[in-house]
Amino acid sequence: MRWRYILNIVGILNLFFGLTMVFPLLCGLFYKDTSVIPLLESMVFTVGGGALLHLFFRGAKAEVITQREGMAIVAIAWTVIGLTGALPFYLGIENCSFVDAFFESVSGATTTGASILTDIESVSKGLLFWRSFIQWLGGMGIIVLSVAILPFLGVGGMQLYKAEVPSPVPDKLKPRIRDTSMILWKVYALISLAQVVLLLLGGMSLYDALCHAFTTMPTGGFSTRNASVAHYNSVYLDTVIIVFMILAGINFSLHYQVMRGRPLAFWRDSECRFFLGAVLVLVLLVSFDVYGAVYRSVGQALRYGSFQVVSIVTTTGFATADYEKWPAMSQLILLLCMFLGASAGSTGGGMKCLRVMLCFKFCYKELFLLIHPRAVTHVKIAGKAVPDDIMRSVLGFMSLYMGLFALNSVILAGLGVDFMTAVGAVAATIGNIGPGFGMVGPVDNYALIPEIGKWLLIWCMLLGRLEVFTVIILLVPEFWRK
Amino acid sequence: MKIVIVGAGEVGFHIASHLAHENKDVVVVDKNADALRRVSENIDVQVIHGSGSSPVVLMEAGIKSAEILLAVTNKDETNLVACLMASMLSSSTKKLARIRNADYDDYHEHFQQHAPHIDTVINPEIEVVKTIDRLMQVPGAVDVGEFADGRIKFIGVYLEKTARLAGVQLSDLPSMLGDERPLIAAVVREDELIIPHGNDRLMAGDLVYFISEEDKLYAALSVFDKHAQPLNRVLIIGGGRIGFRLAALLDQRSIQSKIIERNPERCSLLAQKLNKVVVLCGDGSDQSLLAEENIQDIDVVITLTDDEETNILASLLARRMGARKTITKISKFSYLSLMTTIGIEQVVSPRLSAINSILQHIRRGKVISAISIKGEQAEVMEAVAMETSDIVSKPLKRISFPKGAIVAGIIRQEKIIIPSGESVIEPGDRIIIFATRKAIPGIEKIMAVKLEFF
Repeated sequence: MRWRYILNIVGILNLFFGLTMVFPLLCGLFYKDTSVIPLLESMVFTVGGGALLHLFFRGAKAEVITQREGMAIVAIAWTVIGLTGALPFYLGIENCSFVDAFFESVSGATTTGASILTDIESVSKGLLFWRSFIQWLGGMGIIVLSVAILPFLGVGGMQLYKAEVPSPVPDKLKPRIRDTSMILWKVYALISLAQVVLLLLGGMSLYDALCHAFTTMPTGGFSTRNASVAHYNSVYLDTVIIVFMILAGINFSLHYQVMRGRPLAFWRDSECRFFLGAVLVLVLLVSFDVYGAVYRSVGQALRYGSFQVVSIVTTTGFATADYEKWPAMSQLILLLCMFLGASAGSTGGGMKCLRVMLCFKFCYKELFLLIHPRAVTHVKIAGKAVPDDIMRSVLGFMSLYMGLFALNSVILAGLGVDFMTAVGAVAATIGNIGPGFGMVGPVDNYALIPEIGKWLLIWCMLLGRLEVFTVIILLVPEFWRK
Repeated sequence: MKIVIVGAGEVGFHIASHLAHENKDVVVVDKNADALRRVSENIDVQVIHGSGSSPVVLMEAGIKSAEILLAVTNKDETNLVACLMASMLSSSTKKLARIRNADYDDYHEHFQQHAPHIDTVINPEIEVVKTIDRLMQVPGAVDVGEFADGRIKFIGVYLEKTARLAGVQLSDLPSMLGDERPLIAAVVREDELIIPHGNDRLMAGDLVYFISEEDKLYAALSVFDKHAQPLNRVLIIGGGRIGFRLAALLDQRSIQSKIIERNPERCSLLAQKLNKVVVLCGDGSDQSLLAEENIQDIDVVITLTDDEETNILASLLARRMGARKTITKISKFSYLSLMTTIGIEQVVSPRLSAINSILQHIRRGKVISAISIKGEQAEVMEAVAMETSDIVSKPLKRISFPKGAIVAGIIRQEKIIIPSGESVIEPGDRIIIFATRKAIPGIEKIMAVKLEFF
């Protein structure tokens, strides 16, 4: 572990992150609101701090980054970015404690969308823009963006990319990681742009359209309104957002293939079929469940049922209805959705459909082997056998994920919150969803969680965004041994 | 530029790493998942699991958009079929194949003109024998490259403690040596490659690379206190394919040579094919055998068995028992950097030879030959200066050369010019460029032909 080099790179990444604060700053200047000074201060501090860190350790150079160093860089960079991203909130919002600002910033960068703000609409436009923009950056990955734009990350970029976008099955669109990152970001930006246009057509203001597109595509879920998307009460806007949440929940390399003129790519990909199929089945189940019990008409049941299911399963976390008033089955389905998550290679969180699918197939294989003890079978995806080591890492991931979920919810309950809140808050933060159950349901927020609990949930959000291994490995003593 | 490499062995791995560092798009195909993992974890390239001779796999690797296909698996058959498939799928792709079996030697041209249309057949064994030959000819050299059909030599020598150049500042060289001085292109000191400037000093223990014309070579070597020694007696240990090729070459030249081979059947075959060479059946690391064959009088011992460790031990033993010089075959790259530490100076590597011959065919512009030195940290290349490239028709000092690159020689018709800042390269000149790995993309840009709009 070459610490000087790691800090050097973290410095560069932070500098780069600081530069992106120019966008909310422009927005603040445009609206001439109170956010200008705090944003300017934060930007100077972040850029300056990053530059100092880089200059101080500029002597430390390396040709290659090892996998270990890549993980350390990404985990540390995300924490530092969370801290510096919190500065505008800390400086710009009255009575905002540091842990609250940090929580809000990490919730943004990890695309969780859990908020501690009780009155969102009272916050200045510049800050709300930053709050949405930080989600957009975090969705496709601030480090992936750096790899695409900063040429000197070159070969080392690969290790950083792997640590920030850990996919169960490696997926490289182009021979070089830089080109791959660039394509992903272009596709991401293009779809976001399409959504902005469609939202504008539905009557949203440009500001709201931008902010909502910035939080839909990364499956983030921050809204500029207290009532989230329910504020607009428009079937058209609901539909547009549902469609784009689903798009964001699909592997971005499939979007690239479709754009390259292969329209059947979605259908040919088994994970995508699984994801779309699961969404359809769950939407029908929930709509059927809430029809009659909550909503009078089939149309309404479908509208609210589908929005909420899609919002949760893609781990976005927008709300158009208070699902805590729904029947138990619907609530349980939504809870399970938090674990299922979106596709691998999408911006969504959770355990990812691919892993769940592999796990199902693995279980079936075990049953099959009980019936035919001498059979030779493999877990297959798209006609190809999945190597044992990938299967192992998938199972390892799922056990760790469930284990950490259990441990953290016990700790949270120990801090004095009730059962549903503890379970819901941890499931919603480790899966990067946002709204949970109980005290942190879709119409509530995280302001009332005790302070230690907020630190715990910040950790959960980072765990979820970097897919557990990159973060948890820093806690393994072996990692630090020379 | 996109390059598909079939085979993720040592050669494939190192070429891929070389090219990835130059920001080229590389796709590596191999059947062995472990070899592929090593590639994908260390190098920024795309990997595809599957047989390189399969058309489906080649299509998946994007052979249609690839400029070059390198077939470098350890099976000649796979390489041939991969090229055959590639020529069916994408006829514009340039194909290079590594083919080692001597039985194919006579058919290399046939492969170019007919069915697989392999643009270049690379046989590292032929290259290795050439390298060994050069090393034997040049006293004290640890690295010998040739340019301009052998008229310019590129030599690496170790500077001894007693050498008169040890500790001398480069800017003092003209006054010490006059005009007939060799051009020092690079120095390797403690595993680091330096392109020296006027105020740098040469130190004892440095590996100095210089460029010299062939007829001035011995004069240049004597500057470094390396003096010509007669080459009369040669001992080859290991009678495999390379050993046999080398023995056959020495046989023609009437140099007294002996070859030691362990396998009796192979010995009998060698004895049938070779005339004057003495074929000995035995173990190359057997002291009594070496003593019996008067090892102390041998000029050069060359160890060429398939076993790396045996080669190293046999070389050390021969040196200790009085052989004047040893040349050791090493295939594992990880060993190369250790060799000077344990006292083995002259090393040949079939894989490095293969990489060198492949590199010259990959370079853009009109590159005639390229040699990588010092574990691939740098490269020397010979290229034709094209009329529309950035490099011609202005003094060298006005060309924005990338850092870490120098023009080491200009060949104009029959003349060889050692350039200064004032020299002007004319279109059609052949130039020799020395460049570190990082500078290579920049060099390629300068050398490339610009598209001109009418």
